[in-house]
Amino acid sequence: MELLNLYQNNYLIVFVFLCLGVILPVVALFLGKLLRPYKPSEAKYTTYESGIEPFHDSRVQFNVRYYIFALMFVIFDVETVFLYPWAVAYDNLGIFALIEMTIFVFMLIIGLVYAWKKKVLKWI
Amino acid sequence: MMSGEFIAFMGIALVAVIGGVLLLNLSNVMHMMVALVFTFVSIAGIYVLLSAEFVAAVQILIYAGAITIIMLFGIMLTRHEDTSEAPGSSWRKFAVFLGVLGFAAVLYFGIYNLDLPQMENTLHEKNTMQIGEALYSKFVIPFELTSVLLLVALIGSIMLAKKDDEKEGDKE
Repeated sequence: MELLNLYQNNYLIVFVFLCLGVILPVVALFLGKLLRPYKPSEAKYTTYESGIEPFHDSRVQFNVRYYIFALMFVIFDVETVFLYPWAVAYDNLGIFALIEMTIFVFMLIIGLVYAWKKKVLKWI
Repeated sequence: MMSGEFIAFMGIALVAVIGGVLLLNLSNVMHMMVALVFTFVSIAGIYVLLSAEFVAAVQILIYAGAITIIMLFGIMLTRHEDTSEAPGSSWRKFAVFLGVLGFAAVLYFGIYNLDLPQMENTLHEKNTMQIGEALYSKFVIPFELTSVLLLVALIGSIMLAKKDDEKEGDKE
C-alpha cells in the first residue's frame, strides 16, 4: 500500500509539469497582448502573398498523400506500442513470444511492402 | 470521503467533460482539436489514477499524438466552406434531450450497483512487464488478430486513397 501512495505522489510532479505546460503559453500570449501596440488597419489584415493582391480562400484542399503518410505513421506507432511490453517482459517470456512477435511484425511488413509496390512511399 | 484521489478524479473528469462539450460547441476546427486533446490527456490522467501507467502513456502517444494528427489531416483534406447548419426544431431538440436522459439513466443503473470482484492491487508495480506477460502468454490470439486488423486497415486505406489518385491522374 505504501508503494501505491509513492506511485501516486510521483504523479504530482507530472501534474505540475502539465499545468506549467498549459499555463506558459496562456500567460505568454496574454502578456504579449498587454504589451504590444494595437493599431489595426485594413491593409494589415490582408494576407501577405509576395506583393500580389491576395485572392481565393487561404485554406486549400491538401493532397491525399499526407493522409496516407499520417495513417501509416499511426499504424506503425501502434506496432511500436505492442513491441514495448514484449521487450520489457522478454526475459520471462521465452522463445514462443519471439515467434509470436515475428509473425506480428511480418504481418505489418506485408502491409509496408504492399504500400511500397503501390508507390505510396514515393513523393510525387 | 474527500481523499486526494477523489479530488484528482473529480478534477480530471471535469476537464474531460469540459473538453468534450467544447469540442461540440466551438466553431473553429483547430480549436475543436485542442479541446479533444484536453479530453484525451485527462483520460490518460484517469488511467494513471487506476494504476495503468502503460495504458496512460499509450493514450497520450497514440490518441493525443497520432489520432489528433490524422484527424487534422482528414480535416485539411476536406473542403470546408464556413457554413453552419440551421438549428433543428424544438421538437427534435426535445427528442435528443430525451435520448440523452435515457442513456444517462441506463448508464447510471448499469454502473451504480455493478459489483466487480476485487483483484489484488499490484498494478503499479512493473506495470509494463505485467502487461507484456499477460499479452504474450494468455492473450496471444487476440494479439495476432490485432496484427491482421492493422494490416487490413493499412491495405484498405491505401486502396481507397490510391483509387482517388488514379482518377486525378486520368484528369490530368
